[in-house]
Amino acid sequence: MWIEALIAVTLASAAAVFLAPNKVAGKLAFALSLLPLVGSLWMYSTYEASGNALLAGSELAFETNFDWVVAGPYSLSWHVGLDGISMPLIALTTVLTSLALLASWTPIDERQSQFYGLMLFLEASLLGVFSALDFFLWFVFWEMVLVPMYVLIGVWGGPRRKYAAIKMFVYTNIASLVMFIGFIALVFGLGDSVTSLDMPAIAQALRAGELGSLGPVGAGTLKVAAFVAMFAGFAVKVPVVPFHTWLPDAHVEAPTPVSIMLAGVLLKMGTYALLRFNFTMLPEVAQNNAPIIALFAVVSVIYGAMLALAQSDLKRIVAYSSVSSMGYVILGLVAYTLYGMGGATFQMVAHGLISGLMFMSVGVIYNTTHTRMVSDMSGLASKMPITVAVFVAGAFGYMGLPLMAGFAAELFIFLGSFGAFAGSVWFTAAAMFGIVVVAGYLLFAMQRTLFGDFEVETDYEVGPAAFHDVAPLVVLILLVILLGVDPSIFYDMIQNAVDPLVPATGGGV
Amino acid sequence: MAPLPFELTPAIAALPFVSFLIALFVGAFAPRLLPKGGAVPGILATGGSLLLSLWVMLTVSGGETYHEYVTWVAGAGEATFDLHLGVLVDPLSAMMLVIVSLVAFLVHIFSLGYMNDEGETGLPRYYAGLGLFTASMLSFVFADNLLMAFMFFELVGLCSWLLIGFWFRDDAPPSAAKKAFLVTRFGDYFFLVGLVGVFATFGTSMFVGGEGEGAIQSFPHIAEQVLAGEGAAEVTTYLGLDPQAWFAVLGLLILGGVVGKSAQFPLHTWLPDAMEGPTPVSALIHAATMVAAGVYLVARIYGFYALLPQVLALIAFVGGFTALFAATMGVVKREIKQVLAYSTISQYGYMMLGLGAGGYVAATFHLMTHAFFKALLFLGAGSVIIAMHHNEDMWDMGGLKDRMPVTYYTFLSGSLALAGIVPFAGFWSKDEILYEALVHGLNTPLLLAAYVMGLLAVFFTGFYTFRMVALTFHGEPRSDTARNPHDVRWNVKGPLAVLGILAAVAGVVNMLPVQKVLGVKNIDFLHQWLDSGPEALSAHHYGELLHDFAHYSAGTIGSGVTTVLLGAGLSLALALAGAGLAWKLYAVPDPEEHTDKLGGAKTVLFNNYYQDEYQVWLAEGLTLPLARAADKFDQGVIDGVVNGVSSVSLFGGSRIRRVQTGVVSNYAFLLTASFVVLLVVIGLVGGWF
Repeated sequence: MWIEALIAVTLASAAAVFLAPNKVAGKLAFALSLLPLVGSLWMYSTYEASGNALLAGSELAFETNFDWVVAGPYSLSWHVGLDGISMPLIALTTVLTSLALLASWTPIDERQSQFYGLMLFLEASLLGVFSALDFFLWFVFWEMVLVPMYVLIGVWGGPRRKYAAIKMFVYTNIASLVMFIGFIALVFGLGDSVTSLDMPAIAQALRAGELGSLGPVGAGTLKVAAFVAMFAGFAVKVPVVPFHTWLPDAHVEAPTPVSIMLAGVLLKMGTYALLRFNFTMLPEVAQNNAPIIALFAVVSVIYGAMLALAQSDLKRIVAYSSVSSMGYVILGLVAYTLYGMGGATFQMVAHGLISGLMFMSVGVIYNTTHTRMVSDMSGLASKMPITVAVFVAGAFGYMGLPLMAGFAAELFIFLGSFGAFAGSVWFTAAAMFGIVVVAGYLLFAMQRTLFGDFEVETDYEVGPAAFHDVAPLVVLILLVILLGVDPSIFYDMIQNAVDPLVPATGGGV
Repeated sequence: MAPLPFELTPAIAALPFVSFLIALFVGAFAPRLLPKGGAVPGILATGGSLLLSLWVMLTVSGGETYHEYVTWVAGAGEATFDLHLGVLVDPLSAMMLVIVSLVAFLVHIFSLGYMNDEGETGLPRYYAGLGLFTASMLSFVFADNLLMAFMFFELVGLCSWLLIGFWFRDDAPPSAAKKAFLVTRFGDYFFLVGLVGVFATFGTSMFVGGEGEGAIQSFPHIAEQVLAGEGAAEVTTYLGLDPQAWFAVLGLLILGGVVGKSAQFPLHTWLPDAMEGPTPVSALIHAATMVAAGVYLVARIYGFYALLPQVLALIAFVGGFTALFAATMGVVKREIKQVLAYSTISQYGYMMLGLGAGGYVAATFHLMTHAFFKALLFLGAGSVIIAMHHNEDMWDMGGLKDRMPVTYYTFLSGSLALAGIVPFAGFWSKDEILYEALVHGLNTPLLLAAYVMGLLAVFFTGFYTFRMVALTFHGEPRSDTARNPHDVRWNVKGPLAVLGILAAVAGVVNMLPVQKVLGVKNIDFLHQWLDSGPEALSAHHYGELLHDFAHYSAGTIGSGVTTVLLGAGLSLALALAGAGLAWKLYAVPDPEEHTDKLGGAKTVLFNNYYQDEYQVWLAEGLTLPLARAADKFDQGVIDGVVNGVSSVSLFGGSRIRRVQTGVVSNYAFLLTASFVVLLVVIGLVGGWF
């Protein structure tokens, strides 16, 4: 019952903060968010599980499974549980939420209780997404995430917040619909061999080849069609080029803490779902079309990085670089090797921390300078040394500096994808070139903004940031280094969970 | 149980890391508690590292070596591999540990004079950078596998970035730092591809194999077995290449990182810019150690390169070309550190030439002597720069000989070594490289071409070196600061003296020509040193590999002794000619520039053969416009389609809305019509008609 308790406490906290007066909402929300944080860390420390949540022969941690709605032979169940893929993401969610709440104290200065309440509501939904194992339940949480996100961008965002919020909501919602149709078609195709929406049951039936035809559509076509529908649906969330254009708009308009959650956790919903649905349930479709999927990955990496290079707004730079980094995840997943899939999952966590860190530092800079344009500022290092130091460390983390989390993740992905499928050597080598471009745009941006003579176009008084702004930055950079020095903190459990997905006679290493 | 000094090897890197942490945290939170801005912890730590390194070297000279590793990331299951971090102490790494920790120690002391005495601010940041650099570099040196080497290879790149950009309030240093990191990153990209390729091919990236059955083999050893067609070793090759060709591809990819870090053509452009950093940093990072990392890496996996004749030839050719190319650019520079920067590029070219030509020991020898004399020259230049109140233009100097004798005589010692004048250290090492290139080149035309370029470079080296000495120290002072230079203290003179002596005498460790000509036995100490240790990593074994796999064989001109004398005589004569010409032109009371006599070549040389221009164009003229075009495409086309879809639906919605007129009779009509259509369709499908 720990997962239920985690979600319930978070929801109750959200309600409490919603009703609290504006003045205390921020502090209260942060204090209450420590409950799920401590809870998830406790769960991590007592975590005992093996295997993949969706496959046979697995032992899940904190699992509960009971019938919820029963109608004849058909049932919906309340099924939650954690394996080595979801546990790290749960921890990531609680850590980032607490830090994002701390980072909200400075920039959020109106309707605080609603803002913080929605943030906690968002956290609860995310925890649900990463722990639910019944499709119906999962889909409810999946859609629940959109509601606070829409409001958070639409109310507390920048000048074009309405456009950005609607665009994000409509785009991802249509994507959910496409994905939903694809998945339900699969369930219908399974016929009466599966009478619930239980994801493990469906996954195992699909992998056992029990998929029949659906109307005039044969099983082979149905698989491919469902794969495409689900891939397209999740690709919007990741986002994979060319489905990415909602992301920079959403990031630029969203307030800092919302960007942190968006880049740090929400994007991982897309790759998490890809892993759980496409790559677990329809492995042969993925493997047969590996070069095509890898092409999407490589284009995301390189094209995303090129777009970042062209930007002059710090936040847009970081936003586009997320597109680039998430491309690596796709490349790792499609490799179907231990290092590839493990590295992809590890990259979800690593990128969550590092992109959260980058958005947070950009936010701290914005709080004092009131501008994010690269051309509007220079020499910040003289005025806010600690923030700049963390920004620099984070940027090098983004570039994949060894002994930081990003390097381990990217190394694993490259090790896993090299030679894993036809043409993979070229795809891997091409994707790796991203490490040069990312260094290019981050070094350019840092040189312009952080170094040289101090100057800010907006004429604000610039000084060291407040303690509660700097503290989360320091915590994040320490976490990034910790995971980089000892990846096995998460990587051991991740490997254990992705190992059953790796075909016994796969290519690569 | 390994001997105690071996057990303590990780502490060699850990000590400077602790000094980094002290400088970072005490410097940030309680700067007053930090003695000398972090210099004292740094000096103590690097001093400790030096003592430990010497102890380790002493133990290695007893014939013992050490290899221990831990699993960094364990791959689950049978089909995959683990990633390791480990310590490998053999003659090569022990020697390099001593070189790095010695230079780091001296540079820390020198920094007291260059940074503290000059009243610089931000000292904790400076010493933190130096500490982190020293720790990373030492870890790189004792790394036992390619992955660990890559990790610390990248970390020294970070430190280089931090320290080049130390004076971040000015415009030039951050820009130079960025360039240095980007250019080397470009090389490291190939290294990373090669590293991943090595794992995919061999399943390990170990430099040295373990003992006993089932132990991890080293990847050069596996490659050797595969190419020899013996043993049970199995490898996977890619791109449809046979092992020989695929190994060559891997070798070339790793070489990308080497070319970047060791500033070889065409990725040498970052090093002259890197002179924006403080001079002690240039001495430590951009002359003696980090730049050596590339060459050291090739030496470290020489067992792999020795199997690949084409790659070796390329290494030699790139090295010989770089040696000549950079030396010519050094001839016209006005600033003392610029001359030294191009000289560094050129000297690393020699090492690459030596490695490519099969002179493993020769290249390692030059790596050592160069570390001493180039660190010396940079520190000497630093001393001059202090004296000149941070004016680096040699045309403002002159006549400093009498005003700073310690600097002059040590600088002269380093210059003689650099120019390759007997009996200074550089003569012996450079001569051995050229000798190896010559004897192997007699049977391989490409190597001979590389040799000729290396030989020509000797003339230019002699010229630019003594042009620098003459302009700086001789003649009449050409500015007021040169007439009244700033004093330097013991902390500057001490390191100069130590290195000055080393630059003069370090050649004794390997006086091979003397041995060959006079027939004295056993004075080739470095050869013996590098022959000891694990068989698979010994110079002797590399010689066999070169012979068996790369088909290198030594030719002679006349007898062996004639060849030695001819080679040495030729290079000495060229060096003296170059030095003599420079002396005649510039060691006069009032020297002229003479550069106009070069005609059109002058412009080309001043512009460094336009190498910067095309690389900047690649970044700013090609990549950036491409990125902007991609951005336009993204905003216009991709996002345009997204917004277009929504506009179309909005428009469609507004049209369809007209159906809802609010008139009841219209609705009744639609209802009836739809019902009829539905009936007809159902009827058709159901087969009622």
